[in-house]
Amino acid sequence: MGTRIDAASALALAGPGHRKPTARRLADAAARTCLERSGREAGDIDMLINAGVYREDNIGEPALAALIQQDIGANLGQRPVGGHGTFSFDLMNGTCGVLSAIRVEAGFLRSGVIRLGAIVTSDVDPELAGPGTAPFRPVGGAMLLDWDDSLAGFTDFGAETFPEYEDLFASGLIWREHHGPRAPGRAAGRNQMVIDEKPGYQARLVDCAVEATHRFLRRLEMGMDEVDLLVPAPSSPGFVDALRLRLGVPGDRVAYVTEDLEGAYTTGPIAALQAATKSGRLGEARNTLMLAAGAGVTVVLALYRQTPP
Amino acid sequence: MSETRGTQPGHWLALESPGSGDSSGCRIESVGVKLPSGTLTTRNLMDRTSHRTGIQLERLTGIHERHVVGPGETSLTLAVGAARDCLAHSQHQPADIEMLISTSITRSKGTSWQSFEPPLSLYLKQAIGATRAVNFDISNACAGMLTGVFVLQDFITRGEIGCGMVVSGEYISHLSRNAAKQIRSLYSKQLASLTLGDAGAAVIVERAPGGGPGIDVIGFTTLAEHSRLCLAFPSTVGPGAQMYTKSRTLQKAAIADMAPLVAEVIGEAGIDLADIDYLIPHQTSARAIHQATQEFARRLGARPKHVVVNLEEYGNTSSTTLFVALHKYLEERRIRKGDRVMLLAIASGIEIGIALFTVDDQVERYGHAH
Repeated sequence: MGTRIDAASALALAGPGHRKPTARRLADAAARTCLERSGREAGDIDMLINAGVYREDNIGEPALAALIQQDIGANLGQRPVGGHGTFSFDLMNGTCGVLSAIRVEAGFLRSGVIRLGAIVTSDVDPELAGPGTAPFRPVGGAMLLDWDDSLAGFTDFGAETFPEYEDLFASGLIWREHHGPRAPGRAAGRNQMVIDEKPGYQARLVDCAVEATHRFLRRLEMGMDEVDLLVPAPSSPGFVDALRLRLGVPGDRVAYVTEDLEGAYTTGPIAALQAATKSGRLGEARNTLMLAAGAGVTVVLALYRQTPP
Repeated sequence: MSETRGTQPGHWLALESPGSGDSSGCRIESVGVKLPSGTLTTRNLMDRTSHRTGIQLERLTGIHERHVVGPGETSLTLAVGAARDCLAHSQHQPADIEMLISTSITRSKGTSWQSFEPPLSLYLKQAIGATRAVNFDISNACAGMLTGVFVLQDFITRGEIGCGMVVSGEYISHLSRNAAKQIRSLYSKQLASLTLGDAGAAVIVERAPGGGPGIDVIGFTTLAEHSRLCLAFPSTVGPGAQMYTKSRTLQKAAIADMAPLVAEVIGEAGIDLADIDYLIPHQTSARAIHQATQEFARRLGARPKHVVVNLEEYGNTSSTTLFVALHKYLEERRIRKGDRVMLLAIASGIEIGIALFTVDDQVERYGHAH
């Protein structure tokens, strides 16, 4: 008995007509595609967690998940009592957010509180201060999790932080005052996003991911050779190859995201899962190790077993 | 991991604690609060508006003053202060905390008024020494802290962890400051921003020892058809954010949908509304709380023994209101061992969350300052 990956979807287009990819539109489109792939209705979703971080308008409330719930039509317009409801909220843990959300939903599935969990993600350019562009590509993702009596599913999770490297990557909104004469009604300034990545961050991500993976597998008394498929979130260019070489994993046991989704940020794990599903390698793997590394430095791991419980 | 009972009564995602005698129930072990150093009266706030508004805010809302941050205080410093206060009232050490969830809407830290990465929970666990805690942030508007408790309750009830902490630090008075520059009349969509005050709050949730009393029922739902009634964005008039609320529509929708949900929860618990000793609702305005209580009485035929309103002194401290109020009543020794308390979260979304719990011997660790 365990939590099963029912469907995964990642995309870089926000729907028909190539509409401007806002964070909401990307997540909405990915969620709809995911539901279509699984043959479910939006109203079947009991819990919807949004794990995306960067939005074009940097909206602070409500949770973006609630807006997405409304967009996809998950349990709207019913009287509260006697109907089927959806509970939505945002979970933020940078590029590790999806794996943290899987852990939360796998728990609620195990306790029987939910029957179907959805995780959505998206990131777009958050109006950066100064020149340059955001270090990621506008991509949205969604995945559905359910309970399967014949499958071990997600059995183990690990999370480690390395706060000695917390200053290597930081982002936040900073107020920038407009200077010069101000016409009536003109904005006094803008709140703009600053993303500060210091030299050495990428190398430390790999170091920390390798260290955390070894500790995680030791705890489970598993060897790397027992991992049939590694699904790493492509936290940065070169991260996946550097990681697999350090862990000694052959390239044919690694899920790489497709070219059109390279540069995905919080959607990274979902994009890699989609690639592994399409290639058939996820279906063949008994033990799949999902891994994400990001700011903090934070490393989150999840073991997914497609074996009997 | 142990299998536990979960229920889906009607619209709710709800967790019932296992019955008496089972050791895997949950309880709120400790609550902590950090109030910022400054205060701002409603009169002083309204004196600062750029336009003559004629709004009698204190009469409308019942808010006389609110606490506001001073130099050097941020969402993070308030959260750290609350977490330390929570530990000071707890029997746990920082190293006992296995999961730490930060639920602030505002995430100011250093020069950034809204920090995105790393998550605030990472800085928090370092600051209090909870170094072995798994951490992440949850954002769910004013229902954030209760959402965190809901998540922790699931981890603890299943036996995956034994003890966790939810923390929120809200430096949110910048919304009032920005609204004061623009608001012109009672009908402004920024009116609700004038009710906000700053505060930090923290709560430790643990496995209830020996089948003792604790959280009886906790549940949540999102009425997303109303998700666009309250929206907050970065401001263009000053540092921080601006919030636009269709207050009357939101209040009407929330009150209409809340009463049957409350009925469902107390039905699950097998009690009557009159059995609730203290109802602690989200603190928005005294008038709204009074109307909601009237509606409950009309529909459910009963009233809780006490409805907690602390707006006069604190205003609406967003995600921390429920635990600031609970802390105050514990410190003043109004809430006693054996009392049944209902926390009622209402937030943009519309998020509705309810937790029903029986107070344990933690009350003995409060009130020494009085």
